[in-house]
Amino acid sequence: MSGAYSTLELMAVVLARNLQDGEVVVMGAVPALPLAACRLARALHAPTLWYIVGGSGTVNPAPDSLPASSCDPALRPAPSTLPLPDVVLLEGRGDALDVFCAGGLQIDAHGNCNLVSVGPWAHPKFRGPGSVGIPFLPVTKRSVIYTMSHTPRTFVERVDFVSGPGHPSGPEQDRPYRRQGPSLVVTPLAALDFDPHDRRMRLRTVHPGVAVNQVADATGFELVLPSQVPETPPPTERELSELRRWDPHGVLRR
Amino acid sequence: MSCEFLSPSEAVPRWIAPGATVGVGGMHMTAAPMSLVREIVRQRIRIGRLVTSPSASLQADLLIGAGLVEELISPYVGFEHLGLAPAFRRAVEGGSLAVLECDEGSLTHALYAGAGGLPFIPCPPGIDLTDIPKVNPTLYRQVQDPFTLEARWAVAAVRPDVTLVHCAEADESGNVAFGGFPFTDRLMALAGRRVIVQVERMVSQERMAAHPPGTTLPGFLISAIVVAPGGCHPTAAPGYYGRDEDAIQAYLEAARTPEGFQEYVERTILRLDEPAYLEQVRGQQPAGVS
Repeated sequence: MSGAYSTLELMAVVLARNLQDGEVVVMGAVPALPLAACRLARALHAPTLWYIVGGSGTVNPAPDSLPASSCDPALRPAPSTLPLPDVVLLEGRGDALDVFCAGGLQIDAHGNCNLVSVGPWAHPKFRGPGSVGIPFLPVTKRSVIYTMSHTPRTFVERVDFVSGPGHPSGPEQDRPYRRQGPSLVVTPLAALDFDPHDRRMRLRTVHPGVAVNQVADATGFELVLPSQVPETPPPTERELSELRRWDPHGVLRR
Repeated sequence: MSCEFLSPSEAVPRWIAPGATVGVGGMHMTAAPMSLVREIVRQRIRIGRLVTSPSASLQADLLIGAGLVEELISPYVGFEHLGLAPAFRRAVEGGSLAVLECDEGSLTHALYAGAGGLPFIPCPPGIDLTDIPKVNPTLYRQVQDPFTLEARWAVAAVRPDVTLVHCAEADESGNVAFGGFPFTDRLMALAGRRVIVQVERMVSQERMAAHPPGTTLPGFLISAIVVAPGGCHPTAAPGYYGRDEDAIQAYLEAARTPEGFQEYVERTILRLDEPAYLEQVRGQQPAGVS
């Protein structure tokens, strides 16, 4: 199957398989990957999944192709649309939303995400765009993290600035808001989750053609490595054909 | 108060005092009131505090790059799939821009507070686990919940002296209607002491009356309306035209250096008045794209 699908398509499939029927998903900027995953999940195993596309507030939009921007006019018309301030109300309420899709300039061993600064905040070496909505991550039932950059610079022991809170490093009973926290991390190399004991990031599957030590070397902290790390099952014919129905321009194949 | 119909070059100096707190709408690369923003750049009006929607792009980067912004309240300045905001990055990394760090939740609630006359408002949950309030004592303070006695973060109300937004349509009484997505722009207009609205076109009162609740603003809130068809360019105006990605990329390419930014502003903005800019855009773009 090598070469028959792109890395982004594989990542969309991994994310889609993780989404459960009935969940309400919210995504932010650059929505192509999570939007593709949501549509795929709805088509295959989660017919009553709901998804909200970022700033547009559109709920379950089904455009002919994958828009690059979360505020793309092509997202309208959608079956329903929440004005953005209403999305913010529901994000704060927490119990209305199940899965928050997020990423970061830096992602750390406990799943904290940083969209603000590398280096000290007051004198950054690198200034990121800003936190947008990801402070809501710990209020949502669970979060999933995705990134196109699996490098030691992105995957760090501790983020320089917490924009999107991950798992607490202390005792489980201190977990604020009693939500699940980050449950999945999807990268071009692997799918990861968190060890239930110390809640540090754990390698779950390696993508086809990727070695376990390659993932460990690309991670700037010590990953929890189970004795057996299976390969990520590649996309099935059915998954790929569904995915490509809404991606005629190959946004996920660039 | 009655609303005036003005050109961009008249509206901007009339209602934006140097050093004012200015709210600028548009979310990501959609519905930014670029005709008004370009006019601020031409007239070099200094902004004491720039407030954006939860996600700004060119409207913020251009004003920051032109050296017109002292303080910024914005949860995001960037260009989504096209990359980071070059002038914003340079200004923060170089220490020439003061950032009042915030997020989408606090800003939206701060605008509700500003619109509703509350001095401050408790923040929604989540922010307490981030580093955001710790680096921004100007906007965030800890308060005690009077009911549970627990400590909570609160955010100060945000009230722009003047809010600039794009709407699709206006009628002759100054009522305006948002096209597509009102984003937080409508809320920011409700919080603004003055509001300048840039519109694509004028419509009859009958057509205005047909818009659903929550998508319009009455003329008594609006100080000035600027009719600027194509005025969101190069960002999108839903129902009218999409974003001009080539033009945005040309900006991002040019703005990689301070010299490139200056040259870009000189060539695409300062050399033309706003009617001439819009004339040039209409000449280049197919009409009726949505």
